Amino acid sequence: MIPREWIPTRTTRTHLAFLALPVALFATFYVYPIISSVYLSMHSWDGFSPDMRWVGLQNYKTLLAQPRFFNAVLNNIAWVAFMLIVPTGIGLMLAAILDRGIRGESVYRIIFFLPFTIPAVAVAAIWRWMYEPTNGLITTVLDLAGLGWAAQNWLGDPAVVNASLMGAVAWWTTGFAFLVFFAGLRNIPTECIEAARIEGATSWQIFWKVSFPLLWPSTIIVLGMSAIDAMRLFDIVWAMTQGGPAYSSEVLATQMYDLAFGRFEMGRASAVSVYLLLIAAVVIMPYILYMSSRVQDSEAE
Amino acid sequence: MSKSTFLGAMALTALLGSSAYAQDNFEVWHYYAAGSELAGMNALIDYSNSQAKDAKFTGVVVPGNVVELRRQLQTAFLGGRPPAAYQSSMAFELKAFVDGGRLHPIPDVWEQIKGDEIFPAGVQRVVKIGGQPYGVPFDLSLINNVFYNVKLFKELGLEVPTDWDSFAKACSALSKAGYQPLGNAGGTFWSLYNFYSPLVSIVGEEGYYKIARGELGFDSPEFSKALDLYRDKMIPCYAKNWSGKTWTQTADDVVNGSTGMFMMGAWVAAYFEQAGFKGGEGFDLFQAPGTVGKSVFQMDVLAVPAGPEATIAAANQFLVAAASPEGQAAFAVPKGSLAPNVKVDASVYNYAGAKLAKQFSDASAKDAVLPNLFFLLPTALGTELGNQIQRFAIDPSDATKAEVISTLEGLRQEALANKAFIAW
Amino acid sequence: MSAALQQHQTALTRTVLVVFAVIFMAPLVIAVLTSFKSPPELTQVLSFPGEFYWQNYSIAFSRMGRGLINSIAITVPAVALSILIGAVAGYPLAYMRGAGGKFVYFILLTGMLVPFQIVQIPLFFLVQGLGLYDTIAGMWLVHTAYAVPFCTFFMRNFFASVPRSMYEAALIDGCGPARYFWKLLLPASTSGLAALAIIQSRAIWNDLLFAITLTSSDQSRPVTVQISGFASSLQVEYGPLMAGTLVSILPVMVAYLVFQKSFVRGLLGGAGK
Repeated sequence: MIPREWIPTRTTRTHLAFLALPVALFATFYVYPIISSVYLSMHSWDGFSPDMRWVGLQNYKTLLAQPRFFNAVLNNIAWVAFMLIVPTGIGLMLAAILDRGIRGESVYRIIFFLPFTIPAVAVAAIWRWMYEPTNGLITTVLDLAGLGWAAQNWLGDPAVVNASLMGAVAWWTTGFAFLVFFAGLRNIPTECIEAARIEGATSWQIFWKVSFPLLWPSTIIVLGMSAIDAMRLFDIVWAMTQGGPAYSSEVLATQMYDLAFGRFEMGRASAVSVYLLLIAAVVIMPYILYMSSRVQDSEAE
Repeated sequence: MSKSTFLGAMALTALLGSSAYAQDNFEVWHYYAAGSELAGMNALIDYSNSQAKDAKFTGVVVPGNVVELRRQLQTAFLGGRPPAAYQSSMAFELKAFVDGGRLHPIPDVWEQIKGDEIFPAGVQRVVKIGGQPYGVPFDLSLINNVFYNVKLFKELGLEVPTDWDSFAKACSALSKAGYQPLGNAGGTFWSLYNFYSPLVSIVGEEGYYKIARGELGFDSPEFSKALDLYRDKMIPCYAKNWSGKTWTQTADDVVNGSTGMFMMGAWVAAYFEQAGFKGGEGFDLFQAPGTVGKSVFQMDVLAVPAGPEATIAAANQFLVAAASPEGQAAFAVPKGSLAPNVKVDASVYNYAGAKLAKQFSDASAKDAVLPNLFFLLPTALGTELGNQIQRFAIDPSDATKAEVISTLEGLRQEALANKAFIAW
Repeated sequence: MSAALQQHQTALTRTVLVVFAVIFMAPLVIAVLTSFKSPPELTQVLSFPGEFYWQNYSIAFSRMGRGLINSIAITVPAVALSILIGAVAGYPLAYMRGAGGKFVYFILLTGMLVPFQIVQIPLFFLVQGLGLYDTIAGMWLVHTAYAVPFCTFFMRNFFASVPRSMYEAALIDGCGPARYFWKLLLPASTSGLAALAIIQSRAIWNDLLFAITLTSSDQSRPVTVQISGFASSLQVEYGPLMAGTLVSILPVMVAYLVFQKSFVRGLLGGAGK
């Protein structure tokens, strides 16, 4: 006999029906490729020939012994930290300023969103000029400002290249954080703000005590997406430096690409991607879960 | 799941997909998507279309470079719908796909075009795998020339360097006059191509091939000496911040007269011309020290994937047309590269092209042509060599040198154990 | 707060805005200038073009050809389908109680961690097996499928912020859960859908990886493939590249402006103010 509580109610049945198609798509387009990646990662395979040799966990062990692999992992973690703080922080600041009703608001709104619409390959080409170490715009502006000593070999110095890439990415992606925060701020009932103002709060206080807590849904989306984009970062790094010079700007996704197609080591590349998944799961999933439960709690209140 | 089940499943899916697919239009995949490269490719395809009676070819651009094309090919091979022909690099690039059973040998085409006569021996060597030809060369560029700004050389009264001493003199004169002596650019290839000149100086042609065959170790005294020569004579000449520039940005510096010399593949001449900087007036070129009388070259070929007979027959027509003097010139002239076919008349070339063609035929006559080592080595080793040499050029310390040597030697031992080297 | 202080603050915020606007615009100004430069002028990065060299635009247009139309034909339906699927999946996940819903949600979210480069080969088999290789419909399917995790995440969070009382009231009134979704929840969610549409337009319009893998002919290749072709191999055609880029971001900007309007309207009429 089936226990009564196992028989789905009409609501549950509808819910399950709603989930059917998305879950089917997910199983086909995500689960199957991931399983095949795990399978490939246990082989030595060049990616196109019929002979595939079973090597067990050898690829995973080899990677763990390579400084190159750890460098990419550390770079990914640095990217997560950067993406959580910088584009998000700037986006929030710009949204907060604009939300106060500034003249020319709509123009600013377009300007801040514009870079986000540009394809990665064009962003890379534009920023290769910006970072040209002797005649590029950044070096030129620093020279004019008497700060010539601060100019760097932006993309050619292994110690500087990651920071340079991050600058370009901040320019590229801040528009996303800005957009979501701006929408979130507009979504806050004016009564809350008015009430606080009548009580004599400064705009600084209003922002941090009233608006910011009400921005949780926006914040979750922006932070979650930033962390995820940072983990699977690929095209901008590949288009600007291909992970160079000498692997210094490499992240896991570019390393995977280089192994698979630069060196015909498909098995090892798959192992990198499985590691990427695992690391991302460890770093990001708890965060996403925590954030989602926060939403549920806040409505339950 | 066993391997065979897995591959079987893949093959089945491939069959399902390809059964409904009839090819009436034959694709030629390449990554020459821009500028004079695209113009050359389109001219070649147009010419072949005018020659082939019963087949029409369309160029399909895979944006990117050899790495992106490999990715695309891999997918296509596994999915059972490769193109009729594609742009491939030479030597190991062919070997890898031959070993995978993905390429169709072209002895018939080779015989028809008289491949053994129209291509120099050095060129033939890198398109034959196990004695069988697998590609028709169509795009050859020398990579052992130094391009220089004529005005700067005149202004400083500099002689064109012919050996390491005169090269060092030119460097220091340019440097004293406030110019950047020698340009270079960031990336896996450019430092490596420069390094070939000290390498050949020390090990000679014989040693160069020994490295390619895995016979001469990276821990050998010769290789170490070559790194030292590179460190003493070239690296100090490099322009400030070279590693942060793309090759076109460095080429701009030469055009604008802030950098005196630039050792780069012959394609830089096409870039100069496009920028209105003319051969013989704005720029000129000389063979890098240690490679005088020799030619180090990079070359692309057209390869034919294994596939249905009709497709191969069409691809063969394409290759025959591409190998003819007309087809070769159709590509080489707009692209600014050399035609590998020796029957192409030298009068088709511009100033730089003619000089380079002369260099190449002189070197061929002495059998002193050296294919790009990057593609002679097993793929993973060649790629690592490029990365390590760039690393050394950025930081030429003894510590880096030791790491470069041990990394490369480790990979050489691994490749030896796998019998991956080829006796080119 | 004193008027003087307020004035001070406004001046400060205005300065911050202007500084950021300049930083945001500077690279774009370079892109615009470059798009008007003739090849010899390109060697000077920071110069002004001597005269407007329109050839870059005509080269860009002739090379992009059908690409722009293909991109529109791919993006518009794919955006609609992907936000719809996100809403369909996000709805039950926002309202389901218990571990089951959480588990499904968790699993779907893991999809966001998958780097798309690793799915290419199996994906190619799938799309080819379905007979959708090199078709625009194939691109709809793929963009919809790969949008499931993010769009679900986005719409679930959005629905979770819609007061639950609305849902419960509707159910008590005898409105079924499916009816509630289509008749009440979706129309009340235009702001969320619009925001997601903006994000998805940009993501799908700029996709290159799926496009290269799954299309090969001019009949279906989107404009990004042609644009990245300008920066391919050894040569980079900076003039046409920048011209093509500037042309190609226009549709996304239009989408942004259009959705932004309905987005604010949705907010004013909806749950918010």
